[in-house]
Amino acid sequence: MSSATPATAQAQAQRSQRAPMLLDVKTNALDDGPGIRSVVFFKGCPLSCVWCHNPESRMATPELSFDATVCIAGSGCSRCIPACPQRALNRRNPGLVDRAACDLCFACVDACPPGALARVGRPALAGDIMATLLRDKPFYEASGGGVTFSGGEPTLHMRFLGELAGECKAEGIHTLAETAGEFAWERFERYVLPHVDTVYYDIKLLDPVVHRKYCGVANDRILGNFARLAALAAAGDVELLARVPLVPGITDTEDNVLAIGGFLLAHEVRRVRLLDYNPTWVDKITKIGAVNEFAAQPAMRAWLPHDAVSDLRARLAEYGIEAA
Amino acid sequence: MTLAAPVHSPVDAPATDPASTPVPYHPPVPSPRQRHRPRGATHLFVRALLGALATSYNHIPRLREQLRGVDGWLGVTIGVRTRSASVSAAIRFRDGHARTMSGVPEDADCVLVFKTGRKVRSFLTGTTTDQVFMLLKNDFYTEGSSTGLLMFIYLISLAIAKRQVKTMLREKAADDAIRRERAGRTDPDLAGRMQVRASTRLSATPVDPGVKLLDDPYLSVYSLEDFPRLARFLERHLELDAEVCPELPRLVTQWHRTHGFEVDEHGRPWHPVMRKALAYKYLMANRRPIIHPDDLIAGTTTTKETGVVVYPEGHGTMIWSELLTVPHRALQPYGISEETRELLHKDVFPYWLHRNFKEWVRDNYGSPLGQRIDDRFAVYFNWKAATISHTIPDFPKILRLGTSGIVAEIEAAIAADPGEHDRNVHRRSFILALEGLAAYSRNLAAEAARLAAAENDPTRRGELERLAGICAQVVVGPARSLDEAVNAMWITWVGLHMESTNAGLSMGRLDQCLQPYFEADLAGIDSLADIAAYVKRALELVGDLMLRCTDHLPLTPDVSNHYFGGSSSDQAITLGGVTPEDEDAVCDMTYIFLKATEMLSLRDPNVNARFHPGKNSDTYLKRLCEVNLITAATPSLHNDQAIFAALERYGAAPEDVRNWSATGCVEPTLSGKHIGHTNFQMLSLVAALEMALNNGRHPLMDWKVGPDTGSVEAGDFACFEDFFEAFRTQLAFLVDQSIRYNEMLGRAHQALRPTPMLSSLIDGTIEKGRDVTYGGARYNSSGAACIGLADVIDSMLVIDKLVFADCRVGFTELKRAVDSNFAHDGELLALVRNKVGLFGSGNADAVAMGNRITKMVQEIYDGYVNYRGGRYRAGFWSMSTHVSFGTLAGALPSGRLAGKPFTPGLTPQSAASVSLLDNMRDVAQLDPANMPNNIAFNVKVVPAAGESREQIVDTMAAYVKSYFQLGGMQMQMNVVTSETLRDAMAHPENYRNLLVRISGYNAYFVTLNKEMQLELIERAEYGL
Repeated sequence: MSSATPATAQAQAQRSQRAPMLLDVKTNALDDGPGIRSVVFFKGCPLSCVWCHNPESRMATPELSFDATVCIAGSGCSRCIPACPQRALNRRNPGLVDRAACDLCFACVDACPPGALARVGRPALAGDIMATLLRDKPFYEASGGGVTFSGGEPTLHMRFLGELAGECKAEGIHTLAETAGEFAWERFERYVLPHVDTVYYDIKLLDPVVHRKYCGVANDRILGNFARLAALAAAGDVELLARVPLVPGITDTEDNVLAIGGFLLAHEVRRVRLLDYNPTWVDKITKIGAVNEFAAQPAMRAWLPHDAVSDLRARLAEYGIEAA
Repeated sequence: MTLAAPVHSPVDAPATDPASTPVPYHPPVPSPRQRHRPRGATHLFVRALLGALATSYNHIPRLREQLRGVDGWLGVTIGVRTRSASVSAAIRFRDGHARTMSGVPEDADCVLVFKTGRKVRSFLTGTTTDQVFMLLKNDFYTEGSSTGLLMFIYLISLAIAKRQVKTMLREKAADDAIRRERAGRTDPDLAGRMQVRASTRLSATPVDPGVKLLDDPYLSVYSLEDFPRLARFLERHLELDAEVCPELPRLVTQWHRTHGFEVDEHGRPWHPVMRKALAYKYLMANRRPIIHPDDLIAGTTTTKETGVVVYPEGHGTMIWSELLTVPHRALQPYGISEETRELLHKDVFPYWLHRNFKEWVRDNYGSPLGQRIDDRFAVYFNWKAATISHTIPDFPKILRLGTSGIVAEIEAAIAADPGEHDRNVHRRSFILALEGLAAYSRNLAAEAARLAAAENDPTRRGELERLAGICAQVVVGPARSLDEAVNAMWITWVGLHMESTNAGLSMGRLDQCLQPYFEADLAGIDSLADIAAYVKRALELVGDLMLRCTDHLPLTPDVSNHYFGGSSSDQAITLGGVTPEDEDAVCDMTYIFLKATEMLSLRDPNVNARFHPGKNSDTYLKRLCEVNLITAATPSLHNDQAIFAALERYGAAPEDVRNWSATGCVEPTLSGKHIGHTNFQMLSLVAALEMALNNGRHPLMDWKVGPDTGSVEAGDFACFEDFFEAFRTQLAFLVDQSIRYNEMLGRAHQALRPTPMLSSLIDGTIEKGRDVTYGGARYNSSGAACIGLADVIDSMLVIDKLVFADCRVGFTELKRAVDSNFAHDGELLALVRNKVGLFGSGNADAVAMGNRITKMVQEIYDGYVNYRGGRYRAGFWSMSTHVSFGTLAGALPSGRLAGKPFTPGLTPQSAASVSLLDNMRDVAQLDPANMPNNIAFNVKVVPAAGESREQIVDTMAAYVKSYFQLGGMQMQMNVVTSETLRDAMAHPENYRNLLVRISGYNAYFVTLNKEMQLELIERAEYGL
């Protein structure tokens, strides 16, 4: 792989910011919608939730990931170090990579025998993605499954998403989009909505101030988009499922959950899914050299007690909301 | 693909006078260098040990008495030497005396050749288990009679029995401790969680056109508690150790002593088929008719509740060395009475010393190379040394006609083809065998009547009277009811097992076979309550039949515990699919068998289900998956369409192909018409790869046995194609040698054990006037199981990509790393494991390599026609030999380390992909036409906590359906977590019938050797 000068690297980065970036296509997914599904994970998200359980999906540009648990430097391997034209790799660096010096040429990835160094994110090419998705069509059909678009935020590239979902629909494949709701409604309605059967819509915090504090943006657009979608769902145009990711001490408070419950009722939505907190994200962030002060908190490193979640479900039930 | 022009069997019949008594083979005289008298310390020590043994036999009357056989003193001469000739000595037992000598004499029966002097010491002082391991590890090999060697080992065992048994008990305790340690910390609650699986049960409405009566084909209201009789039988089955049964070898040996073997009492040469038929008739007429207490089905395979059958002309003598120790061994211990031990050692085994398949080949063909390779275990194992019985008899015929009807058919054939020719000798032999079966059936009727008369409990008396009536009708006359059909089937089954070894003989499409009787019975029943009672009774009867099948075990010498651990008889039953007329075959009896399978969780019968994607219903498929979930491992699932595609090239009638059923593990057999000896061999593909890497030398055997094909170190391979050709050449050599040996064993079967009883139930024999061992069946073939396919594909990909395409590694460098087990090559190991798209990862190159290798393998087999006129067919499943062959192989270019198991069947290695779908797609893309003897694709799936039964079953069914739609032939799911398996390893008492599918067959996990247990634990696990 040829090395890029800083200037061209910057240009590349800019280009890739505009082009949709694919994180991964996960096949045989059983928890991202009905049946057996493939999940297309896009890279890049307008929110910056502090607990983001896919931290590598946040930036819309490629990143270099280093997994120290896979590295075999202990048995004398150092193939990556001379492979780097920028000399950005050094055992003395925390996490091996000097992120300031790294120009993301990924020469080290090819050199690394055990795959401890990996490239995260590549330009999303509709043809390649469709080829991957179509391989598993028999599994979707036999199980009532399909394709789920997730991220990151899949609506970051409305046209691309819409085309991909449209191609799936043309193949008779069920489509589902998972979104955080921070998108321009008109573009969504125009490009995406005609091609998705189901939308999984995450609502994290109802208080706009708190939302801005933890997610980096206000939530007015998110709630507004939800209201529009709920109206369409009520008319039977699309299937909608609201989801609340439970995060200890942040979203899992009774106040917040009940406030969301009230909001849902106001839009005649009576079904919500509470997503169990998954603490494994805290180990992911170091791989991409990111820093997160919340990751250090003990509460962030534990699973939620089963009883607490049951209590929340019971309270929502009192509202007349079925919480799965 | 079409078949190449036929060739002839590569081996002729031996030029032996059938009337002569066998001339024993003696190993060649050692070279002059080895004939000189060594004087080293080890040599002297070995001589001293042999001397001590001889002295014991000469001076201790109890021991000397053990040399006195029924026909006179037992005689055997055993040589012991090292490769370097640092040790060279012998011991001779003759005329009631033992003496030792320096050097190996010309008339030695068997010579043990050791790698080093130290190994000789370990052998002479070790336990039988030690000796087994030494044999497998090729610490020594044998030249000459292995039966003679087993007698000698028994003589050692008699002399040091107390110490040996004590050591074995210590070994057993140590083995248990190692298991607990390897299991690590486990959660004992898991046992309960497995058990409650059966308490949730789905129900269904009938949709299959063949289901005439069941309102809920899933029979969800029933559980084992509703069948106390079955529950008791099951408990006995799980609780009892097996016992060696002396009946068959005693009666058969008795008959031959009176009537002769090679020649009759008047000195006239016997016709082997006639001799076998007469001996068989005598056995059947004189064996004890036993009705198991409380049973609804009459007859038993042995006189023991769970009996081990000894077939002296097969591999029966393999237990000779263990007669004393077999009750104490760690794996599959058998009870054996002192009387049986004496009988076998002094009476039976000496008579059959040279009259068994292995020794017959050795004596008649002068210890051929193919046999000597087989004797060393590391490369291939030819099953014909034990049996040929992997087939499906025509049960429908005997149910329809009874023996009397078949006899009438044979008599008509004789009348139409009159004369005293060979054809009619065969035909009359069939009649004699059928008369033997009929005699047994009549004896059972009399026994039932006798027991009924003595019975106080009126209910049981009624059952016995009914049985007396049933046995008076069948198996002589046709069956008229389900009761009679099931009993006729079982009596016939016992009869078939009295003729040839109880390994792999399979029952076929029992649902199809019994459905007409079920429907006929119901035609006479009107009230709903009576119908319900009848269905329950039918279920009990089927459960009883399956439990009857557990009343016997094949004789398993300890070496096989390590080779084929945990395997029972592998009596396959096949359900579902389509009828010969291409209609949906799923019927009431299909679901009744599935319910019995679910309730009993038996390792044997081995239940196989056919699924025709175009014809069979989702309701049926989901039921298969639910039973698989509840039992954790059964049934095995087959795609009818892919099997049809695989068999197409052999040109059988389409209606016969549609009537296929599985034999033994998974192998397709055309029911009732086909002798396919579907497991003539287990062949390690990896052995050929190792030989290609070493210019024909096999590393573990340390034997340059294969042809020169080029040296890696000398740079003889300029491109990948050169190396692939070297692999092909080594494989072709191994196949050729093993087929030659198989052909010789085929002749041995013709001479020693024709099967007239089986022949009377295989289409074609009566018309041709030929026993099935002589090619009398309508269809003939031989089937191989090729082991280590994924390991070879991955190794080839690594060589192709890293060495030749990308030039990232030198071939010599890779070879050096392989030779040193990657001990100093961590980077290289990481590279091969991570930079090559392995088979099962969704890499098109890997699939292409898989198709290339399977095609090449089948083409090699296509070069041969067997002695019965049939073709050789390749299959890719492994029983358990992926573990044992793995133990005997070094590291591979694929990154698999030395001694580790190969992948089971053709399952991708667990590192190939995190997605099960990648595995399934790659396997499904292998062309069935290259795998006509079927495959075993193992998948370990585990339900997530909290998922509903419907969700789990739906997902499983979706996997199966899609895999089949993509072209997959077969798959088998183990639905159990590694954590549960670890707990079972530590607490076997809580998991007595936890079923696992190895590769093709089922076993109780707790009966496996620990290497196999670990292999199952380490298999990739996918969530549901």
